[in-house]
Parts: sequence; C-alpha cells; structure tokens
Amino acid sequence: MNTKPQVLVIDDDVIVGRSFDRVLSGKGYEVSTALSGEEAMDTLRENDFDVVFTDIKMPGMDGLEVAERIKARCPWTPVVVITGYGTADNEARASVLGVSGFVRKPLTPEIIESVTLKAMHEADVIVHAAEAMQKADSEAEEQPDNDGGIGFAAKNVGLFFAAPIVALGYVIALPLVGFYMFARLGYQAYTQRSTPE
Amino acid sequence: MSAIYAAQREQNDLYINPLPVRIWHWANALGFVLLILTGLQLRYADLLNVIPFEMTVKMHNWVGFSVIANYFIWLGFYLFSDRIKVYHPELNARRFFIRAFRQIRYYGYGIFKGEPSPHLVRPYDKFNPMQSITYQIVMLLVIPAQFATGIMMWDIKRFEDWIALLGGIRVVDTIHVLIFIFFVSFILVHAYMGALGHTPSAHFKEMFTGYEEAGRKQDRQRG
Repeated sequence: MNTKPQVLVIDDDVIVGRSFDRVLSGKGYEVSTALSGEEAMDTLRENDFDVVFTDIKMPGMDGLEVAERIKARCPWTPVVVITGYGTADNEARASVLGVSGFVRKPLTPEIIESVTLKAMHEADVIVHAAEAMQKADSEAEEQPDNDGGIGFAAKNVGLFFAAPIVALGYVIALPLVGFYMFARLGYQAYTQRSTPE
Repeated sequence: MSAIYAAQREQNDLYINPLPVRIWHWANALGFVLLILTGLQLRYADLLNVIPFEMTVKMHNWVGFSVIANYFIWLGFYLFSDRIKVYHPELNARRFFIRAFRQIRYYGYGIFKGEPSPHLVRPYDKFNPMQSITYQIVMLLVIPAQFATGIMMWDIKRFEDWIALLGGIRVVDTIHVLIFIFFVSFILVHAYMGALGHTPSAHFKEMFTGYEEAGRKQDRQRG
C-alpha cells in the first residue's frame, strides 16, 4: 500500500501540474496530473486521492463539474479549485458543491504547500468525524435491544419463524397496495388538473 | 491506495456475513448445483445418460442429505446468535411498503441510471425489504418444503402416510419439481443480482471475506 499522501492536479496548463509536483514531491507527497476533466475522471476511477486540485476553466468538462463528480464519488475527498479569476458566481457554485477552497493564480511554492496542508488537515478532520460516527453506529448496532432473558430469546425465535408468514402476507398485499398507490396518485393528478387556479 | 482512503475504508468496511453463514452459503451453492444436475439426469434419464440411473439416485440422495445437514448450520447460527434479527419481519406495514416500493423503483429504474440503492446495508439489517421477504420465504418455507418432499420420495414406503396426506406421490413429486424449477431460476437471478455491486465481483468477494467494502457507500445493494 502506498502510504504517501496522494495529490491529483487537474489543469490543461502543464506548467501548473509541474509546479505542484516540484513543490510537493520533495515534501513527501505523490503528485499525479491530468490535463482535462475527462482524464481526471479516468485517473480517479483507478486511484484514490487525498486531495484534488482542479483548474476551473478547461476545455470540455470544467473544474466545477469535475468537483461535482468527485464529491458524488468520494464526498470525503477535499477538492480545491484553482482559478485565474475567481468570480462571486463561481465561488458560490463551488461552495454549494462543498469544495474546500479557492486558490488563485499565480501560485507560489508557499501557497501550494500551505493550501495542500490545509486540505490534508480537512481530510483528516473528516476521517476522524467519520470514525466517530462509525464507532457510535457500530456500538449502537452491536447492542441490539437485548436483555438476554428467556422471554427475549423466545420473542426472537417466534419472530424468526413468523417471518415467512408475514412475508407471504406482504407478497400478496404488495400488488394491491401498488395498484392503490397508483390509483391515488392518478386521482390526485386528475383533481389538481381539474381544480381552477 | 492512499493513506487517508485506507483509513476511511477500514472504518467503513462492515462485517456483514459471519463465517458460519459463508460456510453454509458456499456449501449450499455447491450442493444445489449438484442436486440440480443429478435431478436433471433423474428426470430426463431417457434423454441424458451421463451417469447410470442407480448411481444418480445415490448421488442425489447423499447430496440431498448433506444439504439438509448444512441447512442446520444456517438455522443453528441464526437461532443462537443475535444476528437472528436479520430474519425478523418488518411489523410496521406502512414502513415496509414505503421501503419496498422505493426498492422496486430502484430495481426497475434507478439502478439503470446509476443511482445508489435506497437500502443501507448494516450487520443487523443486511437485506432490503424485497430481499428480506424473499429470503424469509425461501429459507423458512420453500427450502424446508423441498427437503420434506425429497425425504418422502427417498423412502416412499416409510413415509406413505405423509405422502397420502399430501394427496399422493404425484402431488409430492410435482411440488418437488416445481420448487426445483424455482431454484434453478433463483440461482440465475441470484448470480445476476450478485454481479450488480460497485464492481461486478464485489458481492462475490464479500461472500468470501464477510466484509462489505466501503466503496459500496455509493451502491449498497446485493443479490
């Protein structure tokens, strides 16, 4: 397993990817680059990244669309948008998508390093939050409402053997309920249409 | 795999299928395939003549008894562990129907649009509503019925009273064959649904390791 933090830089300008590589490779990161959103999505299908940087204006898929797709696939992966001209509209769209931040060109080694560290820290926070949630979830699941008594065991076994009978009831009722729901939806649509505004 | 993703994945992998369930599952799968093959040979002895009839009868009987013994691994595990909850019925009918129709919509439409399954798999709630009613009926009604009819036909003389009670050997045989046809279809659908995970092999892998992969956060449905 590769334990180096993985960074993906998506920019149609090769120089940007090289700059990230030059700055971050020496600091223990592994940098991959993609020249378009489409190439990035292919790379993301094969690999997992700890931080993704994406240019906003690219031919084909733009940076915001890339961010949207990444967030849909891996919501915990921080995405930082690189732009030459941040507009309020783009920033608003980006925050709705849950991107971690904007970084404006020109990029200096200090900016690249600090923004990467910030994004890594955010990813770490997300992982810890997920861990806490998972732990709470597992604890709740590991302790089903179990009093350990004979009555409880009898109830469990009773429900187990009653399950196929209940299930048969549901199987018979399912098409009837489905038909009723369709009829109700149709009736509602009909009344809505025939009611004057 | 990145360090953070690895940690995330480790945290999200869920232990869904304990060892006894996995042993039962694969032994059962093997047994069912053998029963289907020997059953076909028995039924169509005049058309197929791969194995001599006598030997096929013996094989069918032995595999049948092994499958019955294996069923008790499954039954014993669920009866004596808190995972029995997995097979409990949903007693809130409203909740069942809402969840069931959501699942039907997903199977009929959402799955083809790449939507995530509406059911979130958990160790004590591993089946979606449609799987839940299917497996409850299959495991606790259909399989025991197949065992019962099979045992009756194994020793017709000994079970003649039971056979008569059910309406004669033709009725028992018809039930056995109809359930056999059902299981052939079930296995095909089961394998197809099993290939619909976040990768085609994900659910199969899960049935070997017991763990549901974190990647299935995006697609938590199983066959």
